[in-house]
Amino acid sequence: MAKILLVSNNEQKIEHFDEILTKCSHDFQCATNEQTFLDILTANMPKIIILDATIPSFDFNQLYRKINELKENTIILSIIKDDKIPQELLNISDAFLPEPISDNILISTININLRRKDTISRLSASNQNLSKNLYQLDVLYNIGSQFAATLDKEKLINIMLEGLDKALDYSVACILTFKSNYEPFLIIDSINQISNRLMEALKLRTVLNYKSLFENKEIPFELNIEDLQTIKYAKNTIDDYDFSILRYDNMFAQINLGDNFFGFVEIYRDKEFTNEDTQCFHTITQQVSMPLKNASYIHEIQQKNKELYRLEHLKSEFVSIVSHELRTPITPLKTSLQILLSGRAGVLTENMEKFLTISKKNVEIFEKIITDLLDMSKIEAGKMDYKFTLTNLEKSIEFIKSQQNCVAEERGLTITTNFDDNYALIFADTSRIHQVLNNLISNAIKFTKIGGNINISTRIIDSKDIICNECFQDDIKKLEGKYVQVCVADNGIGIAEEDLPKIFDQFKQVENSLLREVGGTGLGLPIVKKILDAHNGTIWVDSVLNEGSKFYFVLPVASEKSNFWILHKQLIQQAKVNKSKFITISITSDEDCINNLLKEENLISGIYLNNYLLDNNKGKTTLTMVIPNEDKNIADILKRKIDSTMLSNKTRYGKYDIMYTYATYPKENN
Amino acid sequence: MKKILLVDDEQDIVETLKFVLEGDGYTCFCAYNGEDGLKLAKEVKPDLMILDVMMPKINGFKISRLLKYDAKYKNIPIIMLTARTQDTDKQIGEETGADVYITKPFDLDEVVATVKKLI
Repeated sequence: MAKILLVSNNEQKIEHFDEILTKCSHDFQCATNEQTFLDILTANMPKIIILDATIPSFDFNQLYRKINELKENTIILSIIKDDKIPQELLNISDAFLPEPISDNILISTININLRRKDTISRLSASNQNLSKNLYQLDVLYNIGSQFAATLDKEKLINIMLEGLDKALDYSVACILTFKSNYEPFLIIDSINQISNRLMEALKLRTVLNYKSLFENKEIPFELNIEDLQTIKYAKNTIDDYDFSILRYDNMFAQINLGDNFFGFVEIYRDKEFTNEDTQCFHTITQQVSMPLKNASYIHEIQQKNKELYRLEHLKSEFVSIVSHELRTPITPLKTSLQILLSGRAGVLTENMEKFLTISKKNVEIFEKIITDLLDMSKIEAGKMDYKFTLTNLEKSIEFIKSQQNCVAEERGLTITTNFDDNYALIFADTSRIHQVLNNLISNAIKFTKIGGNINISTRIIDSKDIICNECFQDDIKKLEGKYVQVCVADNGIGIAEEDLPKIFDQFKQVENSLLREVGGTGLGLPIVKKILDAHNGTIWVDSVLNEGSKFYFVLPVASEKSNFWILHKQLIQQAKVNKSKFITISITSDEDCINNLLKEENLISGIYLNNYLLDNNKGKTTLTMVIPNEDKNIADILKRKIDSTMLSNKTRYGKYDIMYTYATYPKENN
Repeated sequence: MKKILLVDDEQDIVETLKFVLEGDGYTCFCAYNGEDGLKLAKEVKPDLMILDVMMPKINGFKISRLLKYDAKYKNIPIIMLTARTQDTDKQIGEETGADVYITKPFDLDEVVATVKKLI
């Protein structure tokens, strides 16, 4: 049963104990002096040591020290004569046997203590197991959240390795994966170095594993040992592993991407793996599968997006080049027709004049179509540059009206205007606003029959008071503040209600025979809408079929704030096209602070202050700046400067909020 | 008789302009690239020049700049013809001293009216 050592030189006692304990099938030993005692202890630790403290000749101090060192798992029983027990003995003994010792007491004391010891050791073992399992669980939980945080294949594999290392403490881990172009890769992570010969063995083993995995099945990717590239990581660079690691306990798991094979992992450990270890291993290797799958999807989507972006760019480029090429021959064509029609080249017959007029009219339509295509391709590529200035909208209307008047008169139409008594400027690119007005007015002329009237009116209006058709509500909701509203009203053919929502969509000219008759790409109104968008305005239409249409558009009344947001939009657009970085910084604090920051701190040198806005709202001032980040880190440096100034002067600046909006448009590969 | 120099690599445009302007009583000289244009400008000392921007070798801007910096020629009015796609054309045109800027495809009457205004 248990190994019991008696430390005594009393012949009688030894004989007596031997008899009793051997009867109880214990393994009895005795030490008659200190040396034998120490020898036995070093050779084989007994479960119970019975110290005969009644022997005066023993050097107990030395014994105590030795016992104290080893006490952990040993039961110490002491034989005593009387109640006078030395302190050291009290400290180390689990129980005392007072002389004279009865056999029953001796046996029961031994049994009780054995049982107690057994319970404690079992308890501590299960405690150890529990803490190990808890640790593994913690690792699992941790890598679970780490898996969720990344969509990068390499990172995922590293997280898996880290998790396996923490939870299972492996000696060597081998991972076989295939890169996107089916190149096989073997990653070996080990504590000690892997020698070249061992590496060859591991490679061979990997190939054999792979072959046996797909025995009698279709092999997903070709794998030859010559093609197998390796990546080695070793924590300890001094020692080498030898072939003995192949005799270590090992575990193997396949990693799948859904139904597809991704790779496998094999780990080796000098200590044997437990059932819990196996479970933990499989959980981790299964857990990595899902994020790996997502990562490969993301990769695919990114590739596709890149391709789409490239094609979109090509398309715009193509349209731009083609329309430019198409424009070139128009000039001589137009001028030649003009020469003929003007009679400079000779007198024309009535029929000659008629057909030349038809040609000239169609060349002009052709020119308009190409101009529209060019404009649209420019807008789509974000290359439309607006030169914003303070503009009087009424003047523009009068100008376009004077240009179109003769065309209207030819068709027997009248154009009238009706302006708001109040006067407001807008912040706009005048030539583009002319284009908008030209488009709307020439449309009105086209779709109105002889004798009709076109009225252009303006009104200064608050965004809350704008009334429009249901289908345009979404655009109106985005507006805020004061606007100049322009209405171009005609009493022409009108537009069917179901056609209203798509009238500003590209290439969606409303199906209508009359529309066909007058021709056009259907790009006019979409271009108008895009131009107004760039001015932070919008357009909508009210119409009754056969009664007439009212096209309304609004542009913000020029103010420091509205002008800023228009420029802001343009800057961001330019940053997108140039694929440069930009940063919008807005700082909200009270007015003094912001002024301090701007003036005294001299943080923001002049050139970056071109575009900023100070906006007062409910006692709070917000400073908003847009900084194109052409010089790479200007925005970063400025951000740090502002942060540190605000922090170091907390008392002075009081409460504040800083918001940074970053955007980066990475350069394309091609 | 007033002399006008036409420079454009598009021969058809030069032809039509020449026809109209000669019909209005001007004497026209034509060049179909920038190099010849510059040479001819110095040779005939025209009263007005109509220059295209996009030309091989020496473009319209360069001719304009070279002439405007030369005291002998700086008073010759220049009409610059440009394609609409070059956004910065107008700006550069003004900086290089062109007197009037007309986008292609242009209206013939506009060109004739401009010429009459300038000389």
